Amino acid sequence: MAREKQSEDYVGPIRRLLVGLLVLALMGTFIIWRIDSTRVERFRAAVIDRVVPSFEWAMAPVTGIVNLVGDFQSYQQLAEQNGDLRRELQQMKAWKEAALQLEQENAKLLSLNNVQIDPELTYVTGVVLTDSGSPFRQSVLLNVGARDGIIDGWPTMDGIGLVGRIAGVGQETSRVILLTDTSSRIPVTIQPSGQRAILTGDNTLNPPIEFLENADLVRPGDRVVTSGDGGVFPADLQVGKVALGNDRRLRVRLSADYGRLEFLRVLRAQPHEVIHDPGGLLVPEGGVIIPQQPEEETAVAVEASDG
Amino acid sequence: MAERPTAQIMINRAVFAGLALLLVFMQLLPLETVPGSWAAPDFLLACTLVWVSRRPDYLPVLVIALIFFLTDLLYQRPPGLWTALVLILTEVLRTRARSIRDIPLALEWGVVAIGILVITLTNHLALAIVMTQQAPLGLTLIQMVMTIAVYPVVLIVAHYAFGVTRPAPGQTNNFGHRL
Repeated sequence: MAREKQSEDYVGPIRRLLVGLLVLALMGTFIIWRIDSTRVERFRAAVIDRVVPSFEWAMAPVTGIVNLVGDFQSYQQLAEQNGDLRRELQQMKAWKEAALQLEQENAKLLSLNNVQIDPELTYVTGVVLTDSGSPFRQSVLLNVGARDGIIDGWPTMDGIGLVGRIAGVGQETSRVILLTDTSSRIPVTIQPSGQRAILTGDNTLNPPIEFLENADLVRPGDRVVTSGDGGVFPADLQVGKVALGNDRRLRVRLSADYGRLEFLRVLRAQPHEVIHDPGGLLVPEGGVIIPQQPEEETAVAVEASDG
Repeated sequence: MAERPTAQIMINRAVFAGLALLLVFMQLLPLETVPGSWAAPDFLLACTLVWVSRRPDYLPVLVIALIFFLTDLLYQRPPGLWTALVLILTEVLRTRARSIRDIPLALEWGVVAIGILVITLTNHLALAIVMTQQAPLGLTLIQMVMTIAVYPVVLIVAHYAFGVTRPAPGQTNNFGHRL
Protein backbone atom coordinates (compact mmCIF):
# COMPACT_ATOMS: atom_id res chain seq x y z
CA MET A 1 0.00 0.00 0.00
CA ALA A 2 2.76 2.37 1.00
CA ARG A 3 4.72 1.56 -2.11
CA GLU A 4 1.75 2.15 -4.36
CA LYS A 5 1.06 5.48 -2.77
CA GLN A 6 4.64 6.53 -3.23
CA SER A 7 4.73 5.47 -6.86
CA GLU A 8 1.47 7.27 -7.57
CA ASP A 9 2.78 10.47 -6.06
CA TYR A 10 5.84 10.13 -8.19
CA VAL A 11 4.06 9.24 -11.44
CA GLY A 12 1.01 11.50 -11.09
CA PRO A 13 2.58 14.93 -11.69
CA ILE A 14 4.82 13.72 -14.52
CA ARG A 15 1.88 12.10 -16.23
CA ARG A 16 -0.15 15.27 -15.81
CA LEU A 17 2.73 17.28 -17.24
CA LEU A 18 3.02 15.00 -20.28
CA VAL A 19 -0.71 15.09 -20.93
CA GLY A 20 -0.60 18.87 -20.62
CA LEU A 21 2.22 19.02 -23.13
CA LEU A 22 0.26 16.76 -25.48
CA VAL A 23 -2.79 19.01 -25.27
CA LEU A 24 -0.60 22.06 -25.87
CA ALA A 25 1.00 20.38 -28.88
CA LEU A 26 -2.44 19.63 -30.33
CA MET A 27 -3.60 23.20 -29.77
CA GLY A 28 -0.36 24.31 -31.41
CA THR A 29 -1.15 22.16 -34.44
CA PHE A 30 -4.55 23.79 -34.67
CA ILE A 31 -3.05 27.28 -34.50
CA ILE A 32 -0.38 26.43 -37.06
CA TRP A 33 -3.12 25.06 -39.31
CA ARG A 34 -4.99 28.33 -38.95
CA ILE A 35 -1.92 30.42 -39.77
CA ASP A 36 -0.34 28.32 -42.49
CA SER A 37 -3.05 25.98 -43.65
CA THR A 38 -1.47 24.94 -46.96
CA ARG A 39 1.42 23.18 -45.28
CA VAL A 40 -0.79 21.34 -42.78
CA GLU A 41 -3.27 20.47 -45.53
CA ARG A 42 -0.39 18.96 -47.49
CA PHE A 43 0.46 16.91 -44.41
CA ARG A 44 -3.19 15.87 -44.19
CA ALA A 45 -3.17 14.81 -47.85
CA ALA A 46 -0.02 12.78 -47.23
CA VAL A 47 -1.57 11.02 -44.22
CA ILE A 48 -4.77 10.24 -46.14
CA ASP A 49 -2.63 9.02 -49.02
CA ARG A 50 -0.96 6.57 -46.66
CA VAL A 51 -4.00 5.44 -44.68
CA VAL A 52 -6.93 5.19 -47.07
CA PRO A 53 -5.47 3.01 -49.86
CA SER A 54 -4.64 0.42 -47.19
CA PHE A 55 -8.37 0.22 -46.44
CA GLU A 56 -9.27 -0.07 -50.08
CA TRP A 57 -9.34 -3.87 -50.31
CA ALA A 58 -11.99 -3.98 -47.60
CA MET A 59 -13.94 -0.93 -48.69
CA ALA A 60 -15.03 -2.11 -52.11
CA PRO A 61 -16.75 -5.35 -50.97
CA VAL A 62 -18.43 -3.78 -47.93
CA THR A 63 -19.75 -0.87 -49.98
CA GLY A 64 -20.89 -3.34 -52.61
CA ILE A 65 -22.79 -5.43 -50.08
CA VAL A 66 -24.48 -2.43 -48.48
CA ASN A 67 -25.51 -1.12 -51.90
CA LEU A 68 -26.78 -4.58 -52.78
CA VAL A 69 -29.05 -4.55 -49.75
CA GLY A 70 -30.28 -1.10 -50.75
CA ASP A 71 -30.95 -2.32 -54.29
CA PHE A 72 -32.78 -5.37 -52.94
CA GLN A 73 -35.20 -3.11 -51.10
CA SER A 74 -35.90 -1.31 -54.34
CA TYR A 75 -36.71 -4.60 -56.11
CA GLN A 76 -39.91 -4.67 -54.12
CA GLN A 77 -41.26 -1.84 -56.22
CA LEU A 78 -39.99 -3.52 -59.36
CA ALA A 79 -43.27 -3.77 -61.27
CA GLU A 80 -44.15 -0.18 -60.60
CA GLN A 81 -40.68 0.95 -61.56
CA ASN A 82 -40.87 -1.08 -64.76
CA GLY A 83 -44.03 0.71 -65.86
CA ASP A 84 -42.46 4.08 -65.13
CA LEU A 85 -39.36 3.17 -67.07
CA ARG A 86 -41.39 2.04 -70.10
CA ARG A 87 -43.27 5.33 -70.15
CA GLU A 88 -40.02 7.25 -69.79
CA LEU A 89 -38.49 5.19 -72.60
CA GLN A 90 -41.27 6.21 -74.95
CA GLN A 91 -40.59 9.86 -74.21
CA MET A 92 -36.86 9.30 -74.52
CA LYS A 93 -37.25 7.84 -78.00
CA ALA A 94 -38.85 11.07 -79.16
CA TRP A 95 -36.03 13.02 -77.55
CA LYS A 96 -33.42 10.75 -79.08
CA GLU A 97 -34.81 11.48 -82.52
CA ALA A 98 -34.64 15.20 -81.80
CA ALA A 99 -31.13 14.90 -80.40
CA LEU A 100 -29.86 13.02 -83.44
CA GLN A 101 -31.26 15.64 -85.75
CA LEU A 102 -29.74 18.40 -83.67
CA GLU A 103 -26.40 16.62 -83.58
CA GLN A 104 -26.33 16.37 -87.33
CA GLU A 105 -27.31 19.99 -87.68
CA ASN A 106 -24.67 20.99 -85.16
CA ALA A 107 -21.97 19.02 -86.94
CA LYS A 108 -22.96 20.63 -90.22
CA LEU A 109 -22.86 24.13 -88.74
CA LEU A 110 -19.56 23.48 -87.00
CA SER A 111 -17.95 22.30 -90.20
CA LEU A 112 -19.42 25.29 -92.04
CA ASN A 113 -17.87 27.64 -89.50
CA ASN A 114 -14.65 25.64 -89.28
CA VAL A 115 -14.88 25.60 -85.47
CA GLN A 116 -12.19 23.78 -83.51
CA ILE A 117 -13.42 22.20 -80.29
CA ASP A 118 -10.80 22.76 -77.60
CA PRO A 119 -8.69 19.56 -77.58
CA GLU A 120 -7.30 20.44 -74.17
CA LEU A 121 -10.57 19.60 -72.42
CA THR A 122 -9.71 15.97 -71.79
CA TYR A 123 -10.35 14.11 -68.56
CA VAL A 124 -9.05 11.54 -66.11
CA THR A 125 -11.58 9.15 -64.60
CA GLY A 126 -11.26 8.16 -60.96
CA VAL A 127 -13.12 5.85 -58.59
CA VAL A 128 -14.63 7.21 -55.37
CA LEU A 129 -12.78 5.66 -52.43
CA THR A 130 -14.45 7.26 -49.43
CA ASP A 131 -16.80 10.04 -48.50
CA SER A 132 -15.89 12.75 -46.01
CA GLY A 133 -16.88 10.57 -43.05
CA SER A 134 -18.70 13.36 -41.27
CA PRO A 135 -22.15 14.82 -41.88
CA PHE A 136 -20.72 18.34 -41.82
CA ARG A 137 -18.37 18.04 -44.75
CA GLN A 138 -19.38 17.09 -48.27
CA SER A 139 -16.42 15.69 -50.09
CA VAL A 140 -15.22 12.44 -51.62
CA LEU A 141 -11.79 10.94 -52.09
CA LEU A 142 -10.75 9.73 -55.55
CA ASN A 143 -8.12 7.13 -56.34
CA VAL A 144 -6.23 9.41 -58.72
CA GLY A 145 -3.65 11.91 -57.54
CA ALA A 146 -0.49 13.78 -58.39
CA ARG A 147 0.81 10.54 -59.95
CA ASP A 148 -1.92 10.87 -62.60
CA GLY A 149 -1.26 14.55 -63.12
CA ILE A 150 -4.18 15.85 -61.07
CA ILE A 151 -3.82 19.50 -60.06
CA ASP A 152 -5.67 21.45 -57.36
CA GLY A 153 -8.70 23.31 -58.63
CA TRP A 154 -9.67 21.12 -61.56
CA PRO A 155 -13.42 20.61 -62.01
CA THR A 156 -14.94 17.18 -61.48
CA MET A 157 -18.03 15.81 -63.18
CA ASP A 158 -19.97 12.62 -63.24
CA GLY A 159 -21.27 11.65 -66.71
CA ILE A 160 -23.76 14.50 -66.78
CA GLY A 161 -23.15 17.43 -64.49
CA LEU A 162 -20.58 19.20 -62.40
CA VAL A 163 -19.89 17.52 -59.05
CA GLY A 164 -17.21 19.65 -57.44
CA ARG A 165 -13.61 20.69 -57.61
CA ILE A 166 -10.33 19.15 -56.57
CA ALA A 167 -9.05 20.49 -53.26
CA GLY A 168 -6.13 18.59 -51.85
CA VAL A 169 -3.99 16.26 -53.94
CA GLY A 170 -1.92 13.42 -52.54
CA GLN A 171 0.38 11.12 -54.43
CA GLU A 172 -2.30 8.50 -55.10
CA THR A 173 -5.50 10.18 -53.91
CA SER A 174 -7.21 13.50 -54.31
CA ARG A 175 -10.15 15.09 -52.54
CA VAL A 176 -13.15 16.54 -54.33
CA ILE A 177 -15.07 19.23 -52.48
CA LEU A 178 -18.67 18.73 -53.62
CA LEU A 179 -20.90 21.62 -54.67
CA THR A 180 -23.00 20.91 -51.58
CA ASP A 181 -20.16 21.59 -49.12
CA THR A 182 -20.44 24.77 -47.07
CA SER A 183 -17.12 26.03 -48.42
CA SER A 184 -18.02 25.59 -52.09
CA ARG A 185 -18.57 28.75 -54.18
CA ILE A 186 -18.92 28.43 -57.95
CA PRO A 187 -19.53 31.25 -60.43
CA VAL A 188 -22.45 30.28 -62.66
CA THR A 189 -24.49 31.68 -65.52
CA ILE A 190 -28.22 31.08 -65.72
CA GLN A 191 -29.47 30.44 -69.24
CA PRO A 192 -31.33 31.75 -71.18
CA SER A 193 -31.31 35.10 -69.36
CA GLY A 194 -27.51 35.07 -69.06
CA GLN A 195 -27.54 36.29 -65.46
CA ARG A 196 -24.35 35.75 -63.47
CA ALA A 197 -24.56 34.41 -59.94
CA ILE A 198 -22.64 32.41 -57.34
CA LEU A 199 -23.70 28.88 -56.41
CA THR A 200 -23.18 28.63 -52.66
CA GLY A 201 -23.01 25.24 -50.98
CA ASP A 202 -24.90 25.08 -47.68
CA ASN A 203 -24.83 21.39 -46.79
CA THR A 204 -28.17 20.67 -48.46
CA LEU A 205 -28.73 18.72 -51.67
CA ASN A 206 -29.98 21.79 -53.54
CA PRO A 207 -27.52 24.65 -53.05
CA PRO A 208 -28.92 28.20 -53.24
CA ILE A 209 -28.03 30.82 -55.85
CA GLU A 210 -26.62 34.02 -54.45
CA PHE A 211 -25.57 37.44 -55.71
CA LEU A 212 -28.16 37.32 -58.45
CA GLU A 213 -28.67 40.71 -60.02
CA ASN A 214 -32.24 40.43 -61.17
CA ALA A 215 -34.18 37.52 -59.77
CA ASP A 216 -37.22 38.37 -61.90
CA LEU A 217 -35.47 37.20 -65.04
CA VAL A 218 -34.85 33.76 -63.59
CA ARG A 219 -37.54 31.13 -63.46
CA PRO A 220 -37.55 27.60 -62.12
CA GLY A 221 -36.42 25.23 -64.85
CA ASP A 222 -33.75 27.54 -66.29
CA ARG A 223 -30.43 25.88 -67.02
CA VAL A 224 -27.45 26.64 -64.81
CA VAL A 225 -23.95 26.33 -66.28
CA THR A 226 -20.55 27.43 -65.04
CA SER A 227 -19.60 30.89 -66.18
CA GLY A 228 -15.83 30.61 -66.22
CA ASP A 229 -15.55 33.87 -64.27
CA GLY A 230 -12.36 34.33 -62.34
CA GLY A 231 -10.68 31.55 -64.27
CA VAL A 232 -11.77 29.01 -61.67
CA PHE A 233 -13.58 26.69 -64.06
CA PRO A 234 -13.95 26.41 -67.79
CA ALA A 235 -17.19 27.96 -68.96
CA ASP A 236 -20.37 26.10 -69.93
CA LEU A 237 -20.11 22.98 -67.81
CA GLN A 238 -23.61 21.83 -66.94
CA VAL A 239 -24.51 22.27 -63.27
CA GLY A 240 -28.25 21.81 -63.03
CA LYS A 241 -31.63 23.49 -63.19
CA VAL A 242 -33.11 26.33 -61.17
CA ALA A 243 -35.77 25.32 -58.66
CA LEU A 244 -37.71 27.26 -56.06
CA GLY A 245 -36.97 25.96 -52.57
CA ASN A 246 -39.43 25.63 -49.71
CA ASP A 247 -37.92 28.77 -48.21
CA ARG A 248 -38.74 30.75 -51.41
CA ARG A 249 -35.06 30.95 -52.30
CA LEU A 250 -33.80 30.10 -55.75
CA ARG A 251 -31.89 26.87 -55.56
CA VAL A 252 -30.24 24.57 -58.06
CA ARG A 253 -31.36 21.02 -58.67
CA LEU A 254 -28.00 19.48 -59.51
CA SER A 255 -27.72 17.39 -62.66
CA ALA A 256 -25.11 15.08 -61.20
CA ASP A 257 -26.49 12.06 -59.35
CA TYR A 258 -25.21 12.71 -55.85
CA GLY A 259 -26.86 9.56 -54.56
CA ARG A 260 -24.47 7.40 -56.55
CA LEU A 261 -21.08 8.92 -56.96
CA GLU A 262 -18.92 6.01 -58.09
CA PHE A 263 -16.85 7.16 -61.02
CA LEU A 264 -15.93 10.80 -61.48
CA ARG A 265 -14.23 12.59 -64.34
CA VAL A 266 -11.60 15.12 -63.49
CA LEU A 267 -11.40 17.61 -66.36
CA ARG A 268 -7.95 18.84 -67.31
CA ALA A 269 -8.80 22.51 -67.16
CA GLN A 270 -6.13 24.68 -68.67
CA PRO A 271 -5.43 28.03 -67.09
CA HIS A 272 -6.87 30.99 -68.94
CA GLU A 273 -4.54 33.10 -70.93
CA VAL A 274 -3.93 36.23 -68.92
CA ILE A 275 -3.43 39.55 -70.63
CA HIS A 276 -1.10 41.59 -68.43
CA ASP A 277 -0.40 44.49 -70.69
CA PRO A 278 -3.12 46.06 -72.80
CA GLY A 279 -0.56 47.16 -75.38
CA GLY A 280 0.68 43.63 -75.86
CA LEU A 281 -2.28 42.78 -78.02
CA LEU A 282 -1.71 45.63 -80.44
CA VAL A 283 2.01 46.15 -80.52
CA PRO A 284 4.74 43.50 -80.61
CA GLU A 285 6.95 43.43 -77.53
CA GLY A 286 10.05 44.91 -79.05
CA GLY A 287 8.25 48.22 -79.56
CA VAL A 288 6.65 49.65 -82.64
CA ILE A 289 8.00 48.21 -85.83
CA ILE A 290 7.72 50.68 -88.59
CA PRO A 291 7.04 48.74 -91.74
CA GLN A 292 9.61 49.42 -94.38
CA GLN A 293 9.56 48.13 -97.81
CA PRO A 294 12.31 45.45 -97.58
CA GLU A 295 11.46 44.40 -93.95
CA GLU A 296 7.76 44.03 -94.40
CA GLU A 297 7.92 40.27 -94.58
CA THR A 298 9.74 39.93 -91.25
CA ALA A 299 7.29 42.29 -89.51
CA VAL A 300 4.40 40.23 -90.75
CA ALA A 301 6.16 37.11 -89.51
CA VAL A 302 6.56 38.62 -86.02
CA GLU A 303 2.94 39.59 -85.89
CA ALA A 304 1.83 36.17 -87.02
CA SER A 305 3.90 34.45 -84.36
CA ASP A 306 2.50 36.84 -81.75
CA GLY A 307 -1.08 36.35 -82.74
CA MET B 1 0.89 3.30 -14.63
CA ALA B 2 4.47 2.66 -13.66
CA GLU B 3 4.11 -1.09 -13.55
CA ARG B 4 4.02 -3.16 -16.70
CA PRO B 5 0.44 -3.67 -17.81
CA THR B 6 -0.90 -7.18 -17.55
CA ALA B 7 -1.69 -9.25 -20.60
CA GLN B 8 -5.40 -8.80 -19.99
CA ILE B 9 -5.10 -5.04 -20.08
CA MET B 10 -3.01 -5.16 -23.24
CA ILE B 11 -5.65 -7.32 -24.92
CA ASN B 12 -8.37 -4.90 -23.92
CA ARG B 13 -6.36 -1.98 -25.25
CA ALA B 14 -5.97 -3.78 -28.55
CA VAL B 15 -9.71 -4.49 -28.59
CA PHE B 16 -10.46 -0.81 -28.16
CA ALA B 17 -8.02 0.23 -30.87
CA GLY B 18 -9.53 -2.35 -33.23
CA LEU B 19 -13.05 -1.17 -32.45
CA ALA B 20 -12.06 2.44 -33.04
CA LEU B 21 -10.49 1.62 -36.41
CA LEU B 22 -13.62 -0.32 -37.37
CA LEU B 23 -15.80 2.71 -36.51
CA VAL B 24 -13.55 5.01 -38.56
CA PHE B 25 -13.72 2.56 -41.44
CA MET B 26 -17.51 2.41 -41.32
CA GLN B 27 -17.70 6.19 -41.32
CA LEU B 28 -15.45 6.45 -44.34
CA LEU B 29 -17.42 4.07 -46.56
CA PRO B 30 -18.71 6.10 -49.49
CA LEU B 31 -22.37 5.50 -48.70
CA GLU B 32 -23.55 8.97 -47.83
CA THR B 33 -22.59 11.38 -50.53
CA VAL B 34 -25.94 13.15 -50.21
CA PRO B 35 -26.07 15.71 -47.43
CA GLY B 36 -28.68 14.63 -44.91
CA SER B 37 -30.96 16.68 -42.70
CA TRP B 38 -29.75 14.98 -39.55
CA ALA B 39 -26.44 13.73 -38.23
CA ALA B 40 -25.67 10.28 -36.90
CA PRO B 41 -24.20 10.05 -33.39
CA ASP B 42 -20.46 10.17 -32.93
CA PHE B 43 -19.99 6.55 -31.87
CA LEU B 44 -16.24 6.92 -31.48
CA LEU B 45 -16.66 9.65 -28.88
CA ALA B 46 -19.38 7.69 -27.06
CA CYS B 47 -17.20 4.56 -26.93
CA THR B 48 -14.20 6.50 -25.70
CA LEU B 49 -16.22 8.08 -22.90
CA VAL B 50 -17.75 4.76 -21.87
CA TRP B 51 -14.34 3.12 -21.74
CA VAL B 52 -12.69 5.97 -19.89
CA SER B 53 -15.35 6.31 -17.24
CA ARG B 54 -15.59 2.54 -16.70
CA ARG B 55 -12.10 1.19 -17.24
CA PRO B 56 -9.60 4.03 -17.70
CA ASP B 57 -6.75 1.52 -17.52
CA TYR B 58 -7.87 0.02 -20.85
CA LEU B 59 -7.44 3.33 -22.60
CA PRO B 60 -4.06 5.09 -22.48
CA VAL B 61 -3.92 8.78 -23.31
CA LEU B 62 -1.67 8.23 -26.28
CA VAL B 63 -4.16 5.88 -27.95
CA ILE B 64 -6.96 8.44 -27.60
CA ALA B 65 -4.72 11.18 -28.97
CA LEU B 66 -3.59 9.10 -31.95
CA ILE B 67 -7.06 7.89 -32.91
CA PHE B 68 -8.73 11.26 -32.61
CA PHE B 69 -5.93 13.05 -34.43
CA LEU B 70 -6.26 10.53 -37.24
CA THR B 71 -10.01 11.17 -37.47
CA ASP B 72 -9.34 14.92 -37.43
CA LEU B 73 -7.20 14.45 -40.49
CA LEU B 74 -9.48 11.96 -42.23
CA TYR B 75 -12.78 13.76 -41.62
CA GLN B 76 -11.50 17.16 -42.82
CA ARG B 77 -11.79 18.74 -39.40
CA PRO B 78 -9.38 21.44 -38.26
CA PRO B 79 -6.53 19.23 -37.01
CA GLY B 80 -5.81 19.18 -33.30
CA LEU B 81 -8.62 21.18 -31.76
CA TRP B 82 -11.20 18.42 -31.33
CA THR B 83 -8.50 15.97 -30.23
CA ALA B 84 -7.30 18.38 -27.55
CA LEU B 85 -10.86 18.91 -26.27
CA VAL B 86 -11.56 15.19 -26.16
CA LEU B 87 -8.26 14.62 -24.33
CA ILE B 88 -9.15 17.22 -21.71
CA LEU B 89 -12.60 15.67 -21.22
CA THR B 90 -11.21 12.15 -20.90
CA GLU B 91 -8.58 13.34 -18.42
CA VAL B 92 -11.27 14.99 -16.29
CA LEU B 93 -13.33 11.78 -16.37
CA ARG B 94 -10.24 9.66 -15.69
CA THR B 95 -9.33 11.52 -12.54
CA ARG B 96 -12.93 11.17 -11.37
CA ALA B 97 -13.27 7.54 -12.48
CA ARG B 98 -13.22 6.31 -8.87
CA SER B 99 -16.00 8.61 -7.76
CA ILE B 100 -18.01 7.98 -10.94
CA ARG B 101 -17.85 4.29 -10.06
CA ASP B 102 -20.02 4.82 -7.00
CA ILE B 103 -22.77 6.98 -8.49
CA PRO B 104 -25.96 5.70 -10.18
CA LEU B 105 -26.12 5.37 -13.95
CA ALA B 106 -28.39 8.39 -14.46
CA LEU B 107 -25.92 10.65 -12.68
CA GLU B 108 -22.99 9.25 -14.64
CA TRP B 109 -24.93 9.86 -17.83
CA GLY B 110 -25.57 13.43 -16.70
CA VAL B 111 -21.87 14.05 -16.02
CA VAL B 112 -20.88 12.70 -19.44
CA ALA B 113 -23.67 14.68 -21.13
CA ILE B 114 -22.41 17.91 -19.57
CA GLY B 115 -18.90 17.00 -20.70
CA ILE B 116 -20.00 16.42 -24.31
CA LEU B 117 -22.03 19.64 -24.27
CA VAL B 118 -19.09 21.66 -23.00
CA ILE B 119 -16.56 20.35 -25.52
CA THR B 120 -19.00 20.69 -28.43
CA LEU B 121 -19.78 24.29 -27.60
CA THR B 122 -16.12 25.09 -26.91
CA ASN B 123 -15.21 23.62 -30.28
CA HIS B 124 -17.86 25.70 -32.02
CA LEU B 125 -16.82 28.83 -30.14
CA ALA B 126 -13.11 28.32 -30.84
CA LEU B 127 -13.80 27.87 -34.55
CA ALA B 128 -15.95 31.00 -34.51
CA ILE B 129 -13.19 32.98 -32.79
CA VAL B 130 -10.55 32.05 -35.37
CA MET B 131 -13.17 32.58 -38.09
CA THR B 132 -13.01 29.27 -39.94
CA GLN B 133 -15.71 27.77 -42.10
CA GLN B 134 -17.78 25.57 -39.89
CA ALA B 135 -20.71 23.25 -39.87
CA PRO B 136 -24.19 24.63 -39.24
CA LEU B 137 -24.89 24.85 -35.51
CA GLY B 138 -28.19 22.98 -35.83
CA LEU B 139 -26.52 19.92 -37.28
CA THR B 140 -23.79 20.04 -34.61
CA LEU B 141 -26.41 20.14 -31.87
CA ILE B 142 -28.34 17.25 -33.43
CA GLN B 143 -25.17 15.17 -33.46
CA MET B 144 -24.39 16.14 -29.88
CA VAL B 145 -27.85 15.14 -28.64
CA MET B 146 -27.65 11.87 -30.58
CA THR B 147 -24.25 11.10 -29.07
CA ILE B 148 -25.56 11.76 -25.57
CA ALA B 149 -28.66 9.64 -26.27
CA VAL B 150 -26.61 6.73 -27.56
CA TYR B 151 -24.28 6.70 -24.54
CA PRO B 152 -26.28 4.20 -22.41
CA VAL B 153 -26.68 1.88 -25.40
CA VAL B 154 -22.95 1.88 -26.05
CA LEU B 155 -22.45 1.33 -22.32
CA ILE B 156 -24.64 -1.78 -22.32
CA VAL B 157 -22.97 -3.16 -25.45
CA ALA B 158 -19.53 -2.48 -23.98
CA HIS B 159 -20.57 -4.18 -20.74
CA TYR B 160 -21.84 -7.39 -22.30
CA ALA B 161 -19.83 -7.66 -25.50
CA PHE B 162 -16.45 -6.30 -24.47
CA GLY B 163 -16.51 -6.84 -20.73
CA VAL B 164 -15.99 -3.21 -19.86
CA THR B 165 -17.37 -3.38 -16.35
CA ARG B 166 -16.80 -1.21 -13.35
CA PRO B 167 -14.18 -2.81 -11.18
CA ALA B 168 -15.77 -4.03 -7.94
CA PRO B 169 -14.69 -2.11 -4.83
CA GLY B 170 -11.45 -3.56 -3.61
CA GLN B 171 -10.76 -5.48 -6.83
CA THR B 172 -7.07 -5.76 -7.52
CA ASN B 173 -5.00 -6.45 -10.58
CA ASN B 174 -2.39 -9.18 -10.90
CA PHE B 175 0.15 -7.11 -8.99
CA GLY B 176 -2.18 -6.66 -6.05
CA HIS B 177 -2.72 -2.98 -6.75
CA ARG B 178 -6.20 -1.60 -6.29
CA LEU B 179 -8.04 -0.57 -9.44
